[in-house]
Amino acid sequence: MSVATRPLTVTINGRRHGPIDVPEGMMMIDVLHEMLNLTGSRLGCGQGMCHACVVIWDRDDRTSEEVPSCITGAGFFDGKRIRTIEGIAQRNDKGEIVALSPVQQAFLDQFSFQCGYCTPGFVNAATVLIERLKRAPVPRAQVEATVAAALEKHICRCTGYVRYYQAVRDVILATPGLTRDAA
Amino acid sequence: MTVGRAGRWALIIAAVVVVAGLAAAALATRNLLSSKSGGPAQVVNASRDVVARGKYLAEAADCAACHTAPDGAPFAGGLPMATGFGTIYATNITPDPDDGIGRWSAEDFWRALHDGVRRDGQQLYPAMPYTSYRGITRGDADAIYAYVMQLRPMKVANRKTELNFPFNIRLGMLGWNLLFLHDSLRAVSAGSSPAWQRGRYLVNVLGHCGECHTPRGMVGNMELSRALTGFALGRVAAPDITPTGLASRGWTATALRAFLGRGLARQGSAFSDMHPVIMLSTQNLTAEDLNSVATYLLGDSPPPAAPLPAIPPAEIAAAANSAGRISYLALCAGCHGLEGNGVPNTVVAMRSNSTLRLADPRNLIVAMLDGIGAENFPHRQSMPAMPGFSDKLSDGEAAALANYLRVTWGGQKGDVTPAAVRALR
Repeated sequence: MSVATRPLTVTINGRRHGPIDVPEGMMMIDVLHEMLNLTGSRLGCGQGMCHACVVIWDRDDRTSEEVPSCITGAGFFDGKRIRTIEGIAQRNDKGEIVALSPVQQAFLDQFSFQCGYCTPGFVNAATVLIERLKRAPVPRAQVEATVAAALEKHICRCTGYVRYYQAVRDVILATPGLTRDAA
Repeated sequence: MTVGRAGRWALIIAAVVVVAGLAAAALATRNLLSSKSGGPAQVVNASRDVVARGKYLAEAADCAACHTAPDGAPFAGGLPMATGFGTIYATNITPDPDDGIGRWSAEDFWRALHDGVRRDGQQLYPAMPYTSYRGITRGDADAIYAYVMQLRPMKVANRKTELNFPFNIRLGMLGWNLLFLHDSLRAVSAGSSPAWQRGRYLVNVLGHCGECHTPRGMVGNMELSRALTGFALGRVAAPDITPTGLASRGWTATALRAFLGRGLARQGSAFSDMHPVIMLSTQNLTAEDLNSVATYLLGDSPPPAAPLPAIPPAEIAAAANSAGRISYLALCAGCHGLEGNGVPNTVVAMRSNSTLRLADPRNLIVAMLDGIGAENFPHRQSMPAMPGFSDKLSDGEAAALANYLRVTWGGQKGDVTPAAVRALR
């Protein structure tokens, strides 16, 4: 018995893949891991709860949002553009990493994670948050609440929450244009 | 719409006229409006058994669902109920003498349940389901009274009702009661067994199931000729729970007992307003009472549960590349499974799901758009949140997905239109 497949064309981290034949019902995280050798996204709960697996969907309206890749079928991403954890740091023409993103650097500087399993999800979530604040800055007094609300659904079992949240808060406060003075 | 609105106003004006006349007559003939305020705080000496029985009955009557606000003290009131006529706030029924019912006698309490009249003589609005509680026995009312009077008194002031004219005239309820307050609600199934009789009391009276599941008329009255046939009081509709309605969606007595006792059955999980009903009320019912409820809902001779109609292979093949199936594979199959079987104890099955088998697609569309929050269930069960997909599905895609689900696993027609989705956004 052959497995039914569907063609998938997707742009990941700026590079176009496909069309590739993906077994029907395969979730995006499995396509990333098994077919595209992008193994940085983490499979945690497999139920869309822990958010370790989120990828960034770059929508046509120039907004970005997190999508849990463990419960989202590959077909959802057909014709779409996404970023995975492999695409967050800055690379040169040869594909070598030349600089971490401010979020990644802050997580390292502040020892935000221990085992690191949830970190790709936190990096992507914080990246999406910062991109949102570029479009719609929040008052400085609301930064902590904004960070907490944006990262709340991400689970870290080493309980790195405080250092994750502090790191993201500090990046936001240090980056011009993400905050405004008053309501 | 114009006709409906005109009709509604004609009815309201007629009701007000009727009410004014009746109120005058009532005033002249009976001392219905005896005003009682002040008075001593009541001291109730009830045996432990009576209090325990009162607690059980208060749970069966689900008093806490409304008389406890989210994160509020138990029975201290405050839950807002938005109606088409304005907002009504559930009151504090702890025994605080000033903010609660601490000065109420058992007689006062009985009158509130049975007649819809407050201790001060003012009419209650039927957001308080005295229309159902009227059938409560005096002994049961006294036991519930004994239970609530030994709760911790809470100093939580009641909030004023915010109703529009003419509904803000409480006297108007006298006329409304004459028209719509009945001593007993008609049976929705055929039966005579002791379990059926007990079930009728639990469903029609204590459980006041009809207050949500029975369609309401223009002035908020239950349309008893269509009792329990389902109604959308809020965003999520209470489904048809008549014997025919239940059987057409595959419900059996066993499934109903599981659903009411645990909130989970093969047919789906309790969500929206039914979830608190399970948690606060029905999960506490004894096995015997759960059986009685199921017996009454389905009748002494339950209609056979309708099997899901088999779909011809040709139709399945034709649907393989349909827009609805492509959306299902993209957004739903990760949890609900390629074959719609769900994940045991974690994700409900789509196959034979009660919501998919409803003729009215409303609840299915609302669930797809809004998602369903994570909830805990009895026996330490819990279901994770289902995300809403309103920003990922266009009206057309959502309609196609709803139709795929209805036809494939609900035995329903694929007649959902994009306009039906748009109307619920």
